[in-house]
Amino acid sequence: MIRVLCLAAVLVLALAAPAAAHTVTAGTDLRIAQTIAGAEVTVVVKGTTRVPGPLRIGVIAYQPVSGLPIGLEVRSVEDGRTVTGTAQAAANPQYTQLQVERTGPHELKLSAGNETAVIPFRVLVERDSAGAFLIYGGLFVAAVLLVGGLLTGATARPGRAMALAAGAAAGVTVAAMVIVFESQVPAPPPDGAAPAPAPTTSTAEGRPYVQARMETVPAQPEAGEEFTLRVDLVDGSTGRPVDDLTAHHEALAHVVVTSEDGRYFRHVHPLRTAPGHLEVRLSAGRPGRYLAHAELERENSGGQLVAADFTVGGPAKASAESGTVTESGKTGAPATQAGTTVTPRLQPAVPIAGRPTTIDLDTPAGVRTWLGMTGHLLIRGQDGRFFGHVHEMGAPGSRVRFTFSFPEPGRYLAWVQYATADRIVTVPFTVNVTAPEAK
Amino acid sequence: MIKRWHAVAAAALVIAAVALYVVSRSTAAEPVNLTTTGSRYTATVLIADPAPGQVTVEIKVSKGDADTVALSAVMAEMGHSTPEISATMREPGRFVAVGELFPMSGVWELSIRLDGPAGEEQLAVKTLITE
Repeated sequence: MIRVLCLAAVLVLALAAPAAAHTVTAGTDLRIAQTIAGAEVTVVVKGTTRVPGPLRIGVIAYQPVSGLPIGLEVRSVEDGRTVTGTAQAAANPQYTQLQVERTGPHELKLSAGNETAVIPFRVLVERDSAGAFLIYGGLFVAAVLLVGGLLTGATARPGRAMALAAGAAAGVTVAAMVIVFESQVPAPPPDGAAPAPAPTTSTAEGRPYVQARMETVPAQPEAGEEFTLRVDLVDGSTGRPVDDLTAHHEALAHVVVTSEDGRYFRHVHPLRTAPGHLEVRLSAGRPGRYLAHAELERENSGGQLVAADFTVGGPAKASAESGTVTESGKTGAPATQAGTTVTPRLQPAVPIAGRPTTIDLDTPAGVRTWLGMTGHLLIRGQDGRFFGHVHEMGAPGSRVRFTFSFPEPGRYLAWVQYATADRIVTVPFTVNVTAPEAK
Repeated sequence: MIKRWHAVAAAALVIAAVALYVVSRSTAAEPVNLTTTGSRYTATVLIADPAPGQVTVEIKVSKGDADTVALSAVMAEMGHSTPEISATMREPGRFVAVGELFPMSGVWELSIRLDGPAGEEQLAVKTLITE
């Protein structure tokens, strides 16, 4: 009798293993900002709780777009299975539902206008931990043995009843101990996760630096003509393309292009066209020297900044700039509205190099989160050799507040950016920073 | 009576052994079996005994007629890369490469360069190599 029960207990434990995926939790949403077809959008991929299961994709627009259709194509990198759909970019988008058959590496291909981006991502589904299996297994065994004990007791066999009760106690003990100690056991990675070493064996922090080459196509764009800014990334240690960029602040890369005098400003999010290759389309109305700063971050690494410059030739196109400080173009951040007189308040009014300066700016009601933050402050030294990106710190009321220590005395060009219901507002200003001893 | 207690003790030991097996199996090194599909080829990578040092890698090409297959590996974390190893065709669609692809334990990206009438394509799979 006992042997039969022991065997039953072992079988229950062994056979329960294939059902380990019965409790699943949704993965985290993937949010990636993209500058595509002249529009600034954020693509949101909502996690799924199971495979096969639904993958919901929406495209949030941050400026007025009249039904910009974006072609979606999700491909499993493992078996090549592809599903397609279309999303309409909107301030509050409808989510398009696509069916995914498996976890693991996938690619999302976005098409709009004649531009294409390929975003690699992984479909993850949480799986049960061994701990949960032991808890439920232990309790199940205890329940089976307790019933057996009661039945045996009822047939007046105290020895066997005690033995079964002891078995039940063992099951309860296993479950209870696992409940107590489970928090100290690392959870298993979700199904479909990238291979990763156990935390204790990882000695390396950070990855080799990125060598970036930024160039325009054509090499010297004409004023008023559309051109492509290409960012090619190569690993400094292996020479291979860098294809492990994380979505930091909701983008694979943040590229800020400014004219030397600061009158032209674009904060854009290039499209990944191939491993290690990013592209964004721009146009500039005036000839002259332009500076490009790209912020990016590799997996398990800190952020990196790469910089380049290029020259726009040809005669100025007057229509491109009409009195506003930033240009009104179809690509990138829209211009501030002419007549906007909001000026930032600086504390201290004349910032001192090396000391924190607070910058406050009133905003209209209804500012919405863009790139994971309420507001962004982009700072460039007059000569372009310094570049900074500061985030809003959660000021109460209708305003954004930034704190930044300007590193050196001198003149800085600065732009505050925030998103309202239907556009991205850019407020340009300049800051003159004094040396500490000049106070 | 004593025999029964022995049986209970044996049952407890069996349960403990099963529990240990369940907990430890997640950390054991398992054979690598990964499939990746590009626009031209589908390749399945099989490594029976993945470990640092000499390994035997079998590549099964299930889509596309590959004539040549070559392997190389990159450890992005440390910036290591290994020389390319040419795989030998054992039969159509089945290639075997032997060499030192993974000099140390860690996460490696195995690049598979396939060539054939359809053209060249480079595919990649990621795998954790442990001692």
